[in-house]
Amino acid sequence: MMREIFEKVLKNKKDKADYIEIRAEKKEFTTIHFQGEKLEKINCSQQIGGDVRALVKGGWGFISFNQFDNLEEKVSEAIEVARLIGKEESRLAVNSPVVEIIKQDLDKDFRQISLREKKELVGNYNNIIMNFSPQIQSSKVIYTDKFSTIYFANSEGSYIEQEKPFLSVSFTAIARKGDNVQIANESIGTTKGFEIIEKISPKAQRAASRAVNLLRAESVEGGEYTVILDQILGGVFIHEAFGHLSEADFLYEDERMSGLMKLGKKFGSPKLNVVDDGSIPNLLGSAKYDDEGIRTRKNYLIKDGILVGRLHSRETAAKMGEEPTGNARALNYRFKPIVRMTNTYIENGDTPFEDLLSGIKKGIYAKDCYGGMTTFEMFTFSAGEGYMIRDGKIAEPVKDVVLSGNLFTTLLNIEGVGNDLKMIESSGGCGKSGQGPLPVSFGSPHLRIKKVVVGGK
Amino acid sequence: MEKYLQQVGKKVDSAELFKVKSKTVPVNFEVNRLKSIDISESEGKALRVINQGRIGFSSFTGSEDFDLMVEKAVATSEFGVKASFDFPEKIEGGKKEKVIVYDEKVVDKSIEEMVKVGENIIERVKDFNPKLRCDVTILKDYSEVEYANSRGGSFSYNKTAIVYSMMVQQIEDQDMLMIYSSLESGEDKLNTEELVSEIMENIKWGEKIVPINNGKMPAIFTPKAALTLILPVIRGLNGRMVWEKISPLANQKNKKLWSQLLTLYNDGTIDFALGSAPFDDEGVEMKKYPLVEKGEIKNFYYDLQTAGMAGVESTGNGLRAGIQSEPAPTLNNLIMEEGTVSFSEMIEDIKEGIIIDQVLGLGQGNIISGAFSNNVQLGYKIENGKIIGRVKDVMIAGNAIEELKNIIALGDKSRWISGKYKFPHIYLKSLTVSTKGN
Ligand SMILES: [Zn+2]
Repeated sequence: MMREIFEKVLKNKKDKADYIEIRAEKKEFTTIHFQGEKLEKINCSQQIGGDVRALVKGGWGFISFNQFDNLEEKVSEAIEVARLIGKEESRLAVNSPVVEIIKQDLDKDFRQISLREKKELVGNYNNIIMNFSPQIQSSKVIYTDKFSTIYFANSEGSYIEQEKPFLSVSFTAIARKGDNVQIANESIGTTKGFEIIEKISPKAQRAASRAVNLLRAESVEGGEYTVILDQILGGVFIHEAFGHLSEADFLYEDERMSGLMKLGKKFGSPKLNVVDDGSIPNLLGSAKYDDEGIRTRKNYLIKDGILVGRLHSRETAAKMGEEPTGNARALNYRFKPIVRMTNTYIENGDTPFEDLLSGIKKGIYAKDCYGGMTTFEMFTFSAGEGYMIRDGKIAEPVKDVVLSGNLFTTLLNIEGVGNDLKMIESSGGCGKSGQGPLPVSFGSPHLRIKKVVVGGK
Repeated sequence: MEKYLQQVGKKVDSAELFKVKSKTVPVNFEVNRLKSIDISESEGKALRVINQGRIGFSSFTGSEDFDLMVEKAVATSEFGVKASFDFPEKIEGGKKEKVIVYDEKVVDKSIEEMVKVGENIIERVKDFNPKLRCDVTILKDYSEVEYANSRGGSFSYNKTAIVYSMMVQQIEDQDMLMIYSSLESGEDKLNTEELVSEIMENIKWGEKIVPINNGKMPAIFTPKAALTLILPVIRGLNGRMVWEKISPLANQKNKKLWSQLLTLYNDGTIDFALGSAPFDDEGVEMKKYPLVEKGEIKNFYYDLQTAGMAGVESTGNGLRAGIQSEPAPTLNNLIMEEGTVSFSEMIEDIKEGIIIDQVLGLGQGNIISGAFSNNVQLGYKIENGKIIGRVKDVMIAGNAIEELKNIIALGDKSRWISGKYKFPHIYLKSLTVSTKGN
């Protein structure tokens, strides 16, 4: 039904703009939120909304809405606004139209599960944390499920319908001993069914035990170390510190950075390969088509240590004379698609974990990520868990492990790439230009990096 | 709406339906150029039910599937909190005309006109100094609010808002001077000149960077920075925080806590203030009443549910943070009574001190305790009764609940901030200032 409505409007308005697209989104979602001993919030909602984006002389007009009654009027409004902004020539990478309807089958469809069953499952996980130890002071468990259907049509004749399920549970455990308060997080996110979150008690337990263990850990001694990153921290690093700099919309607005991100430049040892791939089935950042209707694909960003690619929307691809990569994504119908990552990872090398450890006299094994910040090429990440490495063996736990450095030197300092790549799917997501959290996944094998500055307390 | 409510009223004890329809048009200029106009229209409904004594809630946007909405609200009520109130039976409409929050001229203002306002601001800044980078947003908003409950209470009103906001940046070597300011009103009568001249004055004061000493010194908070001191008070007077005994102010009612000069009102009855409306979001009339009078706490603020739990009346502060949120205690507009001393008289009074105009990290940390620790993003040094320049890398810290005891004077001219706070300059006897410069 959406298709006829969209196509009729587009036919009538096509000549008034260089390009027009219409999107609609239908979603229902549930959130259940436990804090400490009590059920803090339970919410079931439904949203239907849409947007129109029009391009006139290089200027974009955009309008979002909840009522589809006067769709033609909305298109006119978007065109009108685009006219005020457009002052140059419109440029979009060429794409041949696609018509396709993509369904997503779930093993155990969470829409069919009663609210009571969901609440009880989440309540049980919360109890696991609260009862783990007398040192657990508080907890937070948040369950979210969301099922969206996205309808897309453009003035070039594309029409795509895609279903996008999303399910997540996050655990926070807060442990306390006197003034010493420690927090640990674990979470899971997926595009699959309810079965994925039915047996995750170990995760709840791990959050609690990590928080309690941190009470005993000593602060790390600051200094320069050889560091091994686990798959989570390696994944966060490649997404946050490197991935965002590969987003072309940012690059062509920043002369200095586009100089630093010149294709063909050496970024690491020949063992280093970095990929962003939205076409992997059923990962958090996956979709057959991006939000401009471009087919997603595997894009090498670094190949054999050399910078070979970047991420594009149709507009940035045309402006930089490259091919679109299927990376234009919108958080929801309230936002325009912008260049985003999908599933970003470092490919497997050939070094087993034990071999990465060997030869390190005094180093740090940093696991999980508790937060971080990047500004251009500088980054800082706090590890969620840390251990000293002594004489090639994992030794005592340490806390307050904060890694920082310059992206470019750090990539060059990667001296070992493991063979145990794991893709990480968490409840969080990526934020950019006010659009977040956008579901993405990231991953890495274990990485060994020399000369990393670690700040302790 | 009534039809729906009759239908759901048969299934639950009582029910309320809240509906908002709105349209926001922001005209954005970035780096001195028109960059985007992303129009947003929204329409949503929120249903709150009391079912077997418990509260259930569900919200929808765009859909007309009312049965599903009822089903979900009823389902959540099974796990909901115990209702300590019922929806108001009668909502007095007679006083509705008393507060004006709608100006047709805002609705009719064309996008072209808004673009011109923005271009005009940028021209003025360029004339002043062509090297400045200027970002401007001219925004208009129009909303229709409708409310009805199954016990017969109902109301509706329309509301407008217009905002001019700007940010100016001057980047030189390692130094970035960033100044922002905005004007908000429900009425289309904002004065561009007021906005631009304030920013230009600040740029002139900030041209020279001067060192400042560590230690305690007199301080003036401009209206823009006043929330640093007032945010802990706002949190502490929240009826929910008081009921849960989290607030350090919970047992301080009618006690003399702060300077004689400090008087704060909640006031939802001011024409065209952004926090004004005839009713709050659950049908209780908005009022003007004192929160703090001459340094003494007079009232806490409540919504229906929290008031019911505390055994008091709602103060008309039940507001929703969005269509997806249930009402919670929230101030209408917050007004601080003016003093008698002008800003320039304050400056003249100070031998060595600081003016705080913009801070980073507002609301971070343990605000409820009153503690604050902020980086001064924009501040000026006073020496011998004159502003001598801008300070850099300076932190301020203290406890707002303590600092408000030591107010020397309040300004004689208050200014609206974010359209819902009205503050004068606040002159404190002393404040801890630290700098990494020395
Ligand atoms: Zn990100």
